[in-house]
Amino acid sequence: MALKKKRKGNKTLVNIVLGVICLIWLLPTLGLFISSFRPATDILHTGWWKVFPHQEWSAGETIQLNKEVDLREPIEVNGTTYTDDQLKAGVTVDGNRLLWENRRARTINVQEQAWAFKPTLTLENYKNVLSGKEYKLKEADGSETVQKGSGLSQAFWNTLTIAVPATVIPVLIASFAAYAFAWLRFPGRKTLFVMIIAMLVIPLQVALIPVLKDYTSLGLNGSYLGIWLAHTAFGLPLVTYFMYNFISQLPKDLFESAFMDGASHFTIFAKLILPLSVPALASIGIFQFLWVWNDYLVSLIFIGNQPGVQVMSMKIADLVGSRGNDWHLLTSAAFISMLMPLAIFFLLQKYFVRGLMGGSIKG
Amino acid sequence: MKSPIGRKMSLALVLCLSFAMLLSACGGGNNAAKNDPPTPATNNSQATTDNTTVAPVETTGSPLELAMKGEYKGTKVSMFGPFVDADQVKFENSIKEFEEKTGIDIQYEGSKEFEATINIRVDGGNAPDIADFPQPGLLASIAKTGKVIDLTNILDQAKLKANYNQSWLDMATMDGKDGKIMTGVWNRSNVKSLVWYPKKQFEEAGYKIPETWDEMMELTEQIAKDGDPAWSIGIESGAATGWPATDWVEDIMLRTTTPENYDKWVKGELPFNSPEVKHAVEVMSDIWMNKDYVYGGTKSIVTTAFGDAALPLFDNPPKAWLHRQANFITSFFPETAKIDADYDWFYLPSIDPQYGKPVLVAGDIYSMFNDRPEVRAVMEFFTTGESIKTWVQSGGVIAPMNDASLDWYSSESDRRMAKLVQEASTLRFDGSDLMPGKVGAGTFWKGMTDYVSGTANLDDALKQIQSGWDN
Repeated sequence: MALKKKRKGNKTLVNIVLGVICLIWLLPTLGLFISSFRPATDILHTGWWKVFPHQEWSAGETIQLNKEVDLREPIEVNGTTYTDDQLKAGVTVDGNRLLWENRRARTINVQEQAWAFKPTLTLENYKNVLSGKEYKLKEADGSETVQKGSGLSQAFWNTLTIAVPATVIPVLIASFAAYAFAWLRFPGRKTLFVMIIAMLVIPLQVALIPVLKDYTSLGLNGSYLGIWLAHTAFGLPLVTYFMYNFISQLPKDLFESAFMDGASHFTIFAKLILPLSVPALASIGIFQFLWVWNDYLVSLIFIGNQPGVQVMSMKIADLVGSRGNDWHLLTSAAFISMLMPLAIFFLLQKYFVRGLMGGSIKG
Repeated sequence: MKSPIGRKMSLALVLCLSFAMLLSACGGGNNAAKNDPPTPATNNSQATTDNTTVAPVETTGSPLELAMKGEYKGTKVSMFGPFVDADQVKFENSIKEFEEKTGIDIQYEGSKEFEATINIRVDGGNAPDIADFPQPGLLASIAKTGKVIDLTNILDQAKLKANYNQSWLDMATMDGKDGKIMTGVWNRSNVKSLVWYPKKQFEEAGYKIPETWDEMMELTEQIAKDGDPAWSIGIESGAATGWPATDWVEDIMLRTTTPENYDKWVKGELPFNSPEVKHAVEVMSDIWMNKDYVYGGTKSIVTTAFGDAALPLFDNPPKAWLHRQANFITSFFPETAKIDADYDWFYLPSIDPQYGKPVLVAGDIYSMFNDRPEVRAVMEFFTTGESIKTWVQSGGVIAPMNDASLDWYSSESDRRMAKLVQEASTLRFDGSDLMPGKVGAGTFWKGMTDYVSGTANLDDALKQIQSGWDN
């Protein structure tokens, strides 16, 4: 009884800790989400939490001081003296706040607190990102023409064209390899496997220039084939390792009986292994897809920024303009680019969780 | 892995393997570095053999003239540069006519990561035909490897001399692999020595445009007495925080010492802790470190984004009155503000009359990495004012070429800027862009930021900046 109670207490504690971690994790996302609906000027001036009802100082009556008041001396307002700095920051007197209204005209505003309920929200950011920004260009005669930039749709399809094969190819190759490592006996098996594990720790950045040189001589730069191969190669070690962990845990008897019945290795793989390892395939598929979808570096080096092949992450980075003047658009762009991974995640969620547990609990 | 011995063996194997890989990785890197210079040499020789085959064609006219006749129809020229978004649209508009006339397809690729990517591309043998460098310092480091094609014999030097201020041509000459080479041509430029002000309110308040530095300081004091801080300054710019401060120092350097000293300073021969540089920073501090002169006080300088810094000028009434920044800052101004009517600029006045009217500029230099006849034609096209005409019309850039007519500018303000550059007694390029990256985009930014934020005193900050040269 006592033991049970203790367990329950532990559970509440764990839940609270998890809840706090979740909150810390989600809060910035929430802020970003709210910001994506705010007009650019609002984002610049106030924080996202100002969309919630809050108390605000609102302008009240105005006190006109003598125009000749020297601002560098203490300033007398209604019989009390304040310094200039105090009036700049605002001094609270009896629930009202004294603040410069127009320092030049020597007017001070007596502000009162009031509740602000109505936030200004807009879909402008999403419109700009989805359908392209409008550029105003001046013509020779001084008139202005508006030219519409391209939206995200082209980049979206480009990214999908890259991400789907760049997920399927490595997962397929890795499953073959994992089966071989787990169930075939051939010389050098352990050495090869250790090498693959060792590859996990090599950062892909060291391979960029050598691979780029090879690609240049093969003419693969800026082509889809090139980036599929690059993502496949960079992803293979982890995917192979993951699939090996899963496949090697499948019950041995299964294969032995299939083998007895005269099944070839390929039949065993296609008829037994693949159906059994769907959870693992789904979860590593999600991982690889997310990685490729969010990738910036590999695309930057191997595929470049030509509109025909440009990926979402690069298009979004360009949205802010040469000098970063439109950074507020990143808020909505981030959420749009998040949609696809979210959709994939929720579609495959039940496999995802099962896959994560896949290697840990053995009945 | 069933016996302990097997386990130990495999552990040893892993260790050996990872060690071997570490060695091979390091070794590979070294080899690549050693092998680098010869590779471009072979590239170049290939390129030059290409030229010899086209040499006979050259005699009948310049590449640009041939291109205009449709000689290179259907060819493609790749170009890589740092501008994206609105600037890319403007650029593509400015080359549209050329593309239609010649049939050459200029495939421009813009990237926010240009500075980081261009080195990888050049090292990987995937250099674009033409690259647009906003920082000549970066180009200079690539030129040293011999991968940039020397334009001395490719472009008609007499024509260039006629079409560019000599200062521009000098700035394009850099150290190549063997001796000086002409690394590129200047295409778009911007002017830095400008002080922006809200014109309408400025006139209503009865302020006069200062002609000398002293008058400007009097105006600053006058505005402070009237109740506003005169200057709005912001140097926050993400990882590049501090760069607007370097522009100030450069501008003041040009006004307090000789151009020769400025050149020495940029080359690293005049140290940062020399009296000349220190004096320049002190002149700057007279404004920056006075809390009555700066909007939000000195402490807000470091935390204000450079793009937002100009905005207090557009409040009604203005919260600040003066903002020193290059002409590109207009893209950060509110869309409703009208040039010439709502805002305008004046030239950052001279301090010492003996140094004349120096102007600080920056710009983009286009260099060539692959020598093909159609690339030559495009390069020649970029030396003409025609190549930037529509961009000039839409505002925000100044054409450095002499054949760019002042009539092209669609606002009086831009036209005055172009005139300022053409009539400048001394034209100098943004020094921090010319210094090696470690200083110009490293300790200089950081040192100025530390000084302004108060974490370092002037002497320590200058010493820290200077240390960038030493390592």
